[in-house]
Amino acid sequence: MASISGTAIATFARPQFAARAQVVKGFSGLKSVSFSIQRNGFPSVRLQPAPRRFQVSCAQAKPETVQKVCEIVKKQLALSDDTPVTGESKFSALGADSLDTVEIVMGLEEAFEISVEEESAQSITTVQDAADLIEKLVEAKSS
Amino acid sequence: MSWLLRRNMLPLHSNSLARRPLASPPPLLPAPLPSPRETHLWYVVPDQLKDASLLNQYMDLLSPCERQSVLRMNGERLQKGALLARALVRTTLARYTDCRVSPKSFKFRKNRFGKPEVEWNKYDLWAPPPLQFNISHTSTMIACGVALDLPIGVDIEEKQRKTRNNILSLARRYFSPVEVAYLRTLADLESQRHEFIRLWTLKEAYVKALGRGFSGAPFKDFTIRLEASNSKQVTGESKSDASRIVVEAVDHPGILMNRWHFALFELNNSHYAAVCMERDVKDPDRENNSLKLEVWRTLPFVEDECVTETAAVKNIIR
Repeated sequence: MASISGTAIATFARPQFAARAQVVKGFSGLKSVSFSIQRNGFPSVRLQPAPRRFQVSCAQAKPETVQKVCEIVKKQLALSDDTPVTGESKFSALGADSLDTVEIVMGLEEAFEISVEEESAQSITTVQDAADLIEKLVEAKSS
Repeated sequence: MSWLLRRNMLPLHSNSLARRPLASPPPLLPAPLPSPRETHLWYVVPDQLKDASLLNQYMDLLSPCERQSVLRMNGERLQKGALLARALVRTTLARYTDCRVSPKSFKFRKNRFGKPEVEWNKYDLWAPPPLQFNISHTSTMIACGVALDLPIGVDIEEKQRKTRNNILSLARRYFSPVEVAYLRTLADLESQRHEFIRLWTLKEAYVKALGRGFSGAPFKDFTIRLEASNSKQVTGESKSDASRIVVEAVDHPGILMNRWHFALFELNNSHYAAVCMERDVKDPDRENNSLKLEVWRTLPFVEDECVTETAAVKNIIR
Protein backbone atom coordinates (compact mmCIF):
# COMPACT_ATOMS: atom_id res chain seq x y z
CA MET A 1 0.00 0.00 0.00
CA ALA A 2 1.44 3.31 -0.97
CA SER A 3 1.39 5.18 2.29
CA ILE A 4 2.54 2.17 4.24
CA SER A 5 5.63 2.04 2.06
CA GLY A 6 5.92 5.78 2.42
CA THR A 7 5.85 5.62 6.13
CA ALA A 8 8.31 2.77 6.14
CA ILE A 9 10.86 5.18 4.81
CA ALA A 10 11.30 7.24 7.89
CA THR A 11 11.10 6.50 11.57
CA PHE A 12 8.15 4.25 11.93
CA ALA A 13 7.27 5.62 15.33
CA ARG A 14 5.13 8.17 13.61
CA PRO A 15 1.59 9.21 14.18
CA GLN A 16 0.16 7.45 11.18
CA PHE A 17 0.63 4.01 12.69
CA ALA A 18 -1.38 4.67 15.79
CA ALA A 19 -4.97 3.58 15.88
CA ARG A 20 -7.21 6.35 14.72
CA ALA A 21 -9.61 5.48 17.43
CA GLN A 22 -11.71 8.58 17.41
CA VAL A 23 -12.79 8.07 13.86
CA VAL A 24 -13.18 4.36 13.45
CA LYS A 25 -14.22 3.22 16.91
CA GLY A 26 -15.63 -0.23 16.88
CA PHE A 27 -14.07 -1.08 13.56
CA SER A 28 -10.81 -2.30 14.95
CA GLY A 29 -10.10 -4.14 11.75
CA LEU A 30 -9.89 -0.84 9.91
CA LYS A 31 -7.45 0.82 12.25
CA SER A 32 -4.41 -0.51 10.57
CA VAL A 33 -5.58 0.25 7.06
CA SER A 34 -6.99 3.74 7.36
CA PHE A 35 -4.99 6.17 5.22
CA SER A 36 -3.35 3.28 3.49
CA ILE A 37 -5.01 3.79 0.13
CA GLN A 38 -3.74 6.82 -1.65
CA ARG A 39 -5.07 7.76 -5.03
CA ASN A 40 -3.33 10.28 -7.23
CA GLY A 41 -4.91 13.18 -8.97
CA PHE A 42 -7.69 14.15 -6.57
CA PRO A 43 -6.09 16.73 -4.34
CA SER A 44 -9.37 18.33 -3.44
CA VAL A 45 -10.86 15.13 -2.10
CA ARG A 46 -10.03 13.88 1.36
CA LEU A 47 -8.15 10.68 0.65
CA GLN A 48 -9.87 8.26 3.00
CA PRO A 49 -10.89 4.72 2.22
CA ALA A 50 -13.45 4.78 5.04
CA PRO A 51 -16.89 5.97 3.96
CA ARG A 52 -17.83 9.45 5.10
CA ARG A 53 -20.51 8.30 7.50
CA PHE A 54 -17.93 6.98 9.96
CA GLN A 55 -16.54 10.45 10.35
CA VAL A 56 -19.65 12.27 11.44
CA SER A 57 -18.14 12.86 14.86
CA CYS A 58 -15.20 14.72 13.35
CA ALA A 59 -16.44 17.71 11.38
CA GLN A 60 -14.12 19.53 9.02
CA ALA A 61 -12.31 22.49 10.47
CA LYS A 62 -12.73 26.07 9.35
CA PRO A 63 -10.35 27.27 6.63
CA GLU A 64 -8.83 29.82 9.04
CA THR A 65 -7.86 27.03 11.41
CA VAL A 66 -6.32 25.03 8.59
CA GLN A 67 -4.46 28.14 7.48
CA LYS A 68 -3.07 28.74 10.95
CA VAL A 69 -1.94 25.13 11.22
CA CYS A 70 -0.22 25.44 7.84
CA GLU A 71 1.66 28.49 9.12
CA ILE A 72 2.82 26.73 12.26
CA VAL A 73 3.89 23.66 10.30
CA LYS A 74 5.79 25.73 7.74
CA LYS A 75 7.56 27.59 10.53
CA GLN A 76 8.54 24.42 12.38
CA LEU A 77 9.80 22.69 9.25
CA ALA A 78 11.42 25.87 7.93
CA LEU A 79 9.61 25.55 4.63
CA SER A 80 9.84 28.36 2.12
CA ASP A 81 6.78 30.53 1.52
CA ASP A 82 6.19 29.04 -1.88
CA THR A 83 6.15 25.45 -0.60
CA PRO A 84 2.56 24.29 -1.02
CA VAL A 85 1.06 23.23 2.29
CA THR A 86 -2.63 22.45 2.41
CA GLY A 87 -5.05 20.48 4.54
CA GLU A 88 -4.15 17.36 2.60
CA SER A 89 -0.44 17.69 3.30
CA LYS A 90 0.97 14.81 5.26
CA PHE A 91 3.52 15.71 7.89
CA SER A 92 5.77 12.88 6.81
CA ALA A 93 5.70 14.02 3.18
CA LEU A 94 6.77 17.48 4.35
CA GLY A 95 9.78 15.94 6.03
CA ALA A 96 8.59 16.10 9.63
CA ASP A 97 10.21 13.60 11.94
CA SER A 98 8.95 12.67 15.39
CA LEU A 99 10.66 15.59 17.10
CA ASP A 100 9.15 17.98 14.55
CA THR A 101 5.75 16.47 15.18
CA VAL A 102 5.91 17.01 18.93
CA GLU A 103 7.16 20.53 18.39
CA ILE A 104 4.30 21.19 16.01
CA VAL A 105 1.85 19.87 18.60
CA MET A 106 3.37 22.15 21.21
CA GLY A 107 3.15 25.07 18.80
CA LEU A 108 -0.50 24.30 18.17
CA GLU A 109 -1.23 24.01 21.89
CA GLU A 110 0.28 27.41 22.44
CA ALA A 111 -1.42 29.07 19.50
CA PHE A 112 -4.86 27.72 20.25
CA GLU A 113 -4.56 27.50 24.03
CA ILE A 114 -5.48 23.85 24.13
CA SER A 115 -3.97 20.70 25.53
CA VAL A 116 -3.44 17.74 23.26
CA GLU A 117 -3.21 14.28 24.75
CA GLU A 118 -0.45 11.90 23.70
CA GLU A 119 -2.87 9.48 22.03
CA SER A 120 -4.60 12.18 20.02
CA ALA A 121 -1.28 13.71 19.02
CA GLN A 122 -0.17 10.39 17.58
CA SER A 123 -3.21 10.08 15.35
CA ILE A 124 -2.48 13.31 13.49
CA THR A 125 -0.99 12.62 10.10
CA THR A 126 -2.17 15.54 7.98
CA VAL A 127 -2.67 19.25 8.46
CA GLN A 128 -6.41 18.65 8.22
CA ASP A 129 -6.25 16.11 11.06
CA ALA A 130 -4.53 18.68 13.24
CA ALA A 131 -7.06 21.39 12.38
CA ASP A 132 -10.01 19.08 13.06
CA LEU A 133 -8.57 18.02 16.39
CA ILE A 134 -7.88 21.62 17.38
CA GLU A 135 -11.44 22.71 16.70
CA LYS A 136 -12.76 19.75 18.64
CA LEU A 137 -10.60 20.67 21.62
CA VAL A 138 -11.40 24.38 21.38
CA GLU A 139 -15.08 23.57 21.29
CA ALA A 140 -14.79 21.20 24.23
CA LYS A 141 -12.98 23.88 26.18
CA SER A 142 -15.60 26.53 25.61
CA SER A 143 -18.60 24.33 26.28
CA MET B 1 10.42 -13.33 -7.82
CA SER B 2 13.71 -14.93 -8.74
CA TRP B 3 15.85 -15.52 -5.73
CA LEU B 4 18.84 -17.05 -7.34
CA LEU B 5 20.96 -14.40 -8.97
CA ARG B 6 24.26 -14.54 -10.65
CA ARG B 7 26.68 -12.51 -8.67
CA ASN B 8 27.15 -9.59 -10.99
CA MET B 9 23.74 -8.99 -12.37
CA LEU B 10 20.58 -7.30 -11.32
CA PRO B 11 17.44 -7.64 -13.42
CA LEU B 12 17.08 -4.94 -16.06
CA HIS B 13 13.83 -3.22 -16.81
CA SER B 14 12.22 -2.68 -20.17
CA ASN B 15 11.20 0.84 -19.22
CA SER B 16 14.79 2.05 -18.95
CA LEU B 17 15.36 5.68 -18.32
CA ALA B 18 17.13 7.66 -20.99
CA ARG B 19 20.62 8.03 -19.59
CA ARG B 20 20.88 4.59 -18.07
CA PRO B 21 24.37 3.14 -17.96
CA LEU B 22 24.83 0.01 -20.01
CA ALA B 23 26.77 -1.83 -17.34
CA SER B 24 24.98 -3.45 -14.44
CA PRO B 25 25.81 -2.00 -11.06
CA PRO B 26 28.79 -3.60 -9.36
CA PRO B 27 28.04 -6.29 -6.80
CA LEU B 28 27.37 -5.32 -3.24
CA LEU B 29 29.95 -6.17 -0.65
CA PRO B 30 28.45 -9.17 1.12
CA ALA B 31 28.59 -9.07 4.88
CA PRO B 32 28.80 -11.85 7.44
CA LEU B 33 25.79 -12.05 9.71
CA PRO B 34 25.84 -10.10 12.96
CA SER B 35 26.48 -12.16 16.07
CA PRO B 36 23.71 -12.22 18.71
CA ARG B 37 25.05 -9.23 20.63
CA GLU B 38 25.97 -7.25 17.61
CA THR B 39 24.37 -4.43 15.72
CA HIS B 40 25.53 -3.63 12.24
CA LEU B 41 24.90 -0.06 11.25
CA TRP B 42 25.13 1.13 7.66
CA TYR B 43 24.81 4.80 6.90
CA VAL B 44 24.72 6.95 3.79
CA VAL B 45 25.37 10.66 3.49
CA PRO B 46 23.06 12.05 0.77
CA ASP B 47 25.43 14.89 -0.06
CA GLN B 48 28.03 12.37 -1.17
CA LEU B 49 25.75 11.29 -3.98
CA LYS B 50 26.46 13.43 -7.02
CA ASP B 51 25.71 11.01 -9.82
CA ALA B 52 22.18 11.21 -11.20
CA SER B 53 22.48 7.83 -12.89
CA LEU B 54 23.02 6.33 -9.46
CA LEU B 55 19.65 7.70 -8.41
CA ASN B 56 18.13 5.90 -11.37
CA GLN B 57 19.79 2.67 -10.29
CA TYR B 58 18.38 3.10 -6.81
CA MET B 59 14.92 3.92 -8.14
CA ASP B 60 15.07 0.68 -10.03
CA LEU B 61 15.39 -1.31 -6.83
CA LEU B 62 12.14 -0.04 -5.38
CA SER B 63 8.71 -1.59 -5.57
CA PRO B 64 6.08 0.41 -7.49
CA CYS B 65 4.49 1.37 -4.18
CA GLU B 66 7.77 2.64 -2.79
CA ARG B 67 8.41 4.60 -5.94
CA GLN B 68 5.05 6.31 -5.64
CA SER B 69 5.75 7.15 -2.02
CA VAL B 70 9.10 8.66 -2.92
CA LEU B 71 7.54 10.82 -5.60
CA ARG B 72 4.88 12.01 -3.19
CA MET B 73 7.48 13.58 -0.95
CA ASN B 74 7.43 17.33 -1.08
CA GLY B 75 10.33 18.52 -3.22
CA GLU B 76 13.49 17.08 -4.71
CA ARG B 77 15.57 17.01 -1.55
CA LEU B 78 12.97 15.03 0.39
CA GLN B 79 12.42 12.74 -2.58
CA LYS B 80 16.13 12.00 -2.79
CA GLY B 81 16.21 11.27 0.94
CA ALA B 82 13.23 8.95 0.71
CA LEU B 83 14.75 7.16 -2.27
CA LEU B 84 18.09 6.73 -0.55
CA ALA B 85 16.38 5.37 2.54
CA ARG B 86 14.65 2.61 0.58
CA ALA B 87 17.78 1.88 -1.43
CA LEU B 88 19.80 1.69 1.78
CA VAL B 89 17.42 -0.77 3.42
CA ARG B 90 17.25 -3.00 0.38
CA THR B 91 20.94 -3.05 -0.42
CA THR B 92 21.93 -3.47 3.23
CA LEU B 93 19.67 -6.47 3.78
CA ALA B 94 20.78 -8.04 0.49
CA ARG B 95 24.36 -8.11 1.74
CA TYR B 96 23.41 -10.61 4.41
CA THR B 97 21.88 -13.14 2.06
CA ASP B 98 25.10 -14.38 0.50
CA CYS B 99 24.01 -12.98 -2.89
CA ARG B 100 20.88 -15.10 -2.97
CA VAL B 101 18.40 -12.26 -2.68
CA SER B 102 18.81 -9.13 -4.75
CA PRO B 103 17.96 -5.74 -3.27
CA LYS B 104 15.07 -5.53 -5.66
CA SER B 105 13.55 -8.83 -4.58
CA PHE B 106 12.89 -7.93 -0.99
CA LYS B 107 9.35 -7.65 0.19
CA PHE B 108 8.28 -5.88 3.32
CA ARG B 109 5.28 -5.89 5.56
CA LYS B 110 4.24 -4.21 8.76
CA ASN B 111 3.78 -5.90 12.08
CA ARG B 112 0.44 -5.20 13.70
CA PHE B 113 1.78 -2.02 15.25
CA GLY B 114 3.19 -0.76 12.01
CA LYS B 115 6.86 -1.67 12.36
CA PRO B 116 8.32 -2.66 9.00
CA GLU B 117 9.81 -6.12 8.72
CA VAL B 118 11.09 -8.40 5.97
CA GLU B 119 8.65 -10.76 4.36
CA TRP B 120 10.73 -13.61 3.06
CA ASN B 121 9.79 -15.79 0.13
CA LYS B 122 9.74 -19.53 0.69
CA TYR B 123 12.97 -21.14 -0.36
CA ASP B 124 13.42 -24.88 -0.85
CA LEU B 125 17.11 -25.20 -0.22
CA TRP B 126 17.98 -22.20 1.87
CA ALA B 127 16.82 -20.80 5.16
CA PRO B 128 16.86 -17.01 5.05
CA PRO B 129 18.59 -15.43 8.04
CA PRO B 130 16.14 -13.93 10.54
CA LEU B 131 17.23 -10.35 9.91
CA GLN B 132 15.80 -7.56 11.99
CA PHE B 133 16.33 -4.02 10.85
CA ASN B 134 15.37 -0.45 11.60
CA ILE B 135 16.08 2.79 9.80
CA SER B 136 16.32 6.39 10.79
CA HIS B 137 17.08 9.51 8.88
CA THR B 138 17.80 13.17 9.03
CA SER B 139 18.21 15.46 6.06
CA THR B 140 21.94 14.81 6.06
CA MET B 141 22.19 11.11 6.89
CA ILE B 142 20.27 7.88 6.63
CA ALA B 143 21.13 4.93 8.83
CA CYS B 144 20.03 1.31 8.78
CA GLY B 145 20.70 -1.00 11.69
CA VAL B 146 20.66 -4.76 11.29
CA ALA B 147 20.57 -7.45 13.94
CA LEU B 148 20.11 -11.19 13.85
CA ASP B 149 16.83 -12.41 15.25
CA LEU B 150 16.58 -9.76 17.95
CA PRO B 151 14.47 -6.63 17.80
CA ILE B 152 16.41 -3.49 17.14
CA GLY B 153 15.71 0.21 17.11
CA VAL B 154 17.90 2.94 15.64
CA ASP B 155 17.64 6.69 15.83
CA ILE B 156 19.95 9.40 14.58
CA GLU B 157 19.79 13.13 15.07
CA GLU B 158 21.96 16.01 13.90
CA LYS B 159 24.17 17.24 16.70
CA GLN B 160 23.41 20.80 15.71
CA ARG B 161 19.67 20.35 15.64
CA LYS B 162 17.92 23.33 17.14
CA THR B 163 14.51 23.15 18.67
CA ARG B 164 11.92 25.89 18.30
CA ASN B 165 10.65 25.33 21.76
CA ASN B 166 12.62 25.77 24.93
CA ILE B 167 14.45 22.57 25.86
CA LEU B 168 13.05 22.31 29.37
CA SER B 169 9.53 23.00 28.10
CA LEU B 170 9.90 20.14 25.64
CA ALA B 171 11.36 17.92 28.32
CA ARG B 172 8.63 18.72 30.83
CA ARG B 173 6.04 17.93 28.21
CA TYR B 174 7.50 14.72 26.86
CA PHE B 175 10.20 13.32 29.13
CA SER B 176 9.99 11.58 32.48
CA PRO B 177 10.52 13.52 35.73
CA VAL B 178 13.93 11.90 36.29
CA GLU B 179 15.05 12.96 32.84
CA VAL B 180 13.78 16.49 33.31
CA ALA B 181 15.60 16.69 36.64
CA TYR B 182 18.79 15.54 34.94
CA LEU B 183 18.52 18.17 32.22
CA ARG B 184 17.92 20.84 34.81
CA THR B 185 21.26 20.05 36.45
CA LEU B 186 22.97 21.29 33.29
CA ALA B 187 23.53 25.01 33.69
CA ASP B 188 24.82 25.53 30.17
CA LEU B 189 22.07 25.86 27.55
CA GLU B 190 24.19 24.22 24.87
CA SER B 191 24.88 21.21 27.08
CA GLN B 192 21.21 21.01 27.83
CA ARG B 193 20.39 20.98 24.15
CA HIS B 194 22.97 18.31 23.39
CA GLU B 195 21.80 16.09 26.23
CA PHE B 196 18.20 16.55 25.21
CA ILE B 197 19.03 15.40 21.69
CA ARG B 198 20.99 12.41 22.99
CA LEU B 199 18.20 11.41 25.31
CA TRP B 200 15.72 11.84 22.51
CA THR B 201 17.62 9.45 20.26
CA LEU B 202 17.86 6.89 23.05
CA LYS B 203 14.15 7.09 23.78
CA GLU B 204 13.27 6.88 20.11
CA ALA B 205 15.57 3.91 19.61
CA TYR B 206 13.92 2.13 22.54
CA VAL B 207 10.39 2.73 21.29
CA LYS B 208 11.38 1.62 17.81
CA ALA B 209 13.02 -1.53 19.17
CA LEU B 210 9.86 -2.30 21.13
CA GLY B 211 8.01 -2.05 17.85
CA ARG B 212 4.71 -0.98 19.30
CA GLY B 213 4.58 2.51 17.86
CA PHE B 214 4.90 5.80 19.65
CA SER B 215 1.69 5.31 21.61
CA GLY B 216 2.76 1.81 22.68
CA ALA B 217 5.45 3.28 24.86
CA PRO B 218 4.79 6.95 25.59
CA PHE B 219 7.99 8.83 26.28
CA LYS B 220 6.68 10.04 29.60
CA ASP B 221 6.23 6.54 30.96
CA PHE B 222 9.87 5.45 30.95
CA THR B 223 13.22 6.83 32.00
CA ILE B 224 16.52 6.25 30.29
CA ARG B 225 19.58 7.06 32.32
CA LEU B 226 23.09 6.04 33.16
CA GLU B 227 23.53 3.54 35.92
CA ALA B 228 26.82 2.81 37.66
CA SER B 229 27.93 -0.58 36.45
CA ASN B 230 28.36 -3.44 38.90
CA SER B 231 30.75 -5.31 36.71
CA LYS B 232 34.24 -5.65 38.01
CA GLN B 233 37.27 -5.39 35.80
CA VAL B 234 39.82 -8.17 35.43
CA THR B 235 41.96 -6.76 38.24
CA GLY B 236 39.07 -7.04 40.66
CA GLU B 237 38.52 -3.32 40.91
CA SER B 238 35.55 -1.71 39.33
CA LYS B 239 36.24 1.27 37.12
CA SER B 240 34.93 4.36 38.77
CA ASP B 241 33.47 5.72 35.57
CA ALA B 242 32.03 2.45 34.31
CA SER B 243 28.35 2.92 33.71
CA ARG B 244 25.70 1.62 31.44
CA ILE B 245 22.56 2.95 29.86
CA VAL B 246 19.44 1.54 31.44
CA VAL B 247 15.71 1.93 31.01
CA GLU B 248 13.07 1.73 33.72
CA ALA B 249 9.36 2.38 33.93
CA VAL B 250 8.40 5.61 35.67
CA ASP B 251 5.88 3.61 37.71
CA HIS B 252 8.52 1.14 38.86
CA PRO B 253 11.70 3.09 39.47
CA GLY B 254 14.72 1.00 40.34
CA ILE B 255 13.40 -2.02 38.49
CA LEU B 256 15.50 -1.99 35.37
CA MET B 257 14.10 -3.37 32.17
CA ASN B 258 17.08 -5.57 31.58
CA ARG B 259 15.73 -7.04 28.43
CA TRP B 260 17.20 -4.13 26.48
CA HIS B 261 20.68 -2.85 25.96
CA PHE B 262 21.81 0.36 24.33
CA ALA B 263 24.62 2.13 22.60
CA LEU B 264 24.89 5.88 22.20
CA PHE B 265 27.64 7.41 20.11
CA GLU B 266 28.67 10.15 17.74
CA LEU B 267 28.58 9.35 14.08
CA ASN B 268 30.50 11.10 11.31
CA ASN B 269 31.09 14.04 13.64
CA SER B 270 27.68 15.28 12.60
CA HIS B 271 25.15 13.09 14.35
CA TYR B 272 24.22 11.44 17.60
CA ALA B 273 23.15 7.85 17.07
CA ALA B 274 21.37 5.52 19.44
CA VAL B 275 20.85 1.81 19.07
CA CYS B 276 18.60 -0.29 21.26
CA MET B 277 18.63 -4.03 20.97
CA GLU B 278 16.98 -6.84 22.86
CA ARG B 279 19.38 -8.92 24.88
CA ASP B 280 19.95 -12.47 23.75
CA VAL B 281 18.25 -14.77 26.28
CA LYS B 282 20.59 -17.57 25.28
CA ASP B 283 23.59 -15.59 26.46
CA PRO B 284 24.46 -16.79 29.97
CA ASP B 285 26.15 -13.51 30.80
CA ARG B 286 23.56 -11.33 29.18
CA GLU B 287 23.12 -9.00 32.13
CA ASN B 288 26.65 -7.73 31.85
CA ASN B 289 27.53 -8.09 28.24
CA SER B 290 27.26 -4.89 26.33
CA LEU B 291 26.11 -4.35 22.81
CA LYS B 292 28.76 -4.72 20.09
CA LEU B 293 28.76 -2.33 17.22
CA GLU B 294 30.07 -2.50 13.67
CA VAL B 295 29.57 0.53 11.46
CA TRP B 296 29.95 1.05 7.73
CA ARG B 297 29.67 4.19 5.70
CA THR B 298 28.24 3.31 2.32
CA LEU B 299 27.21 4.65 -1.02
CA PRO B 300 25.51 1.53 -2.38
CA PHE B 301 27.13 0.18 -5.55
CA VAL B 302 29.89 2.76 -5.29
CA GLU B 303 31.81 2.30 -2.09
CA ASP B 304 31.70 0.82 1.37
CA GLU B 305 33.97 1.71 4.21
CA CYS B 306 34.08 0.04 7.59
CA VAL B 307 34.41 2.92 10.05
CA THR B 308 34.02 1.06 13.32
CA GLU B 309 37.47 1.74 14.72
CA THR B 310 37.79 5.20 13.20
CA ALA B 311 37.03 8.72 14.29
CA ALA B 312 33.69 8.46 12.49
CA VAL B 313 32.38 6.49 15.46
CA LYS B 314 33.29 7.94 18.81
CA ASN B 315 32.30 8.61 22.38
CA ILE B 316 30.48 5.33 22.60
CA ILE B 317 28.40 4.82 25.73
CA ARG B 318 26.65 1.53 26.27
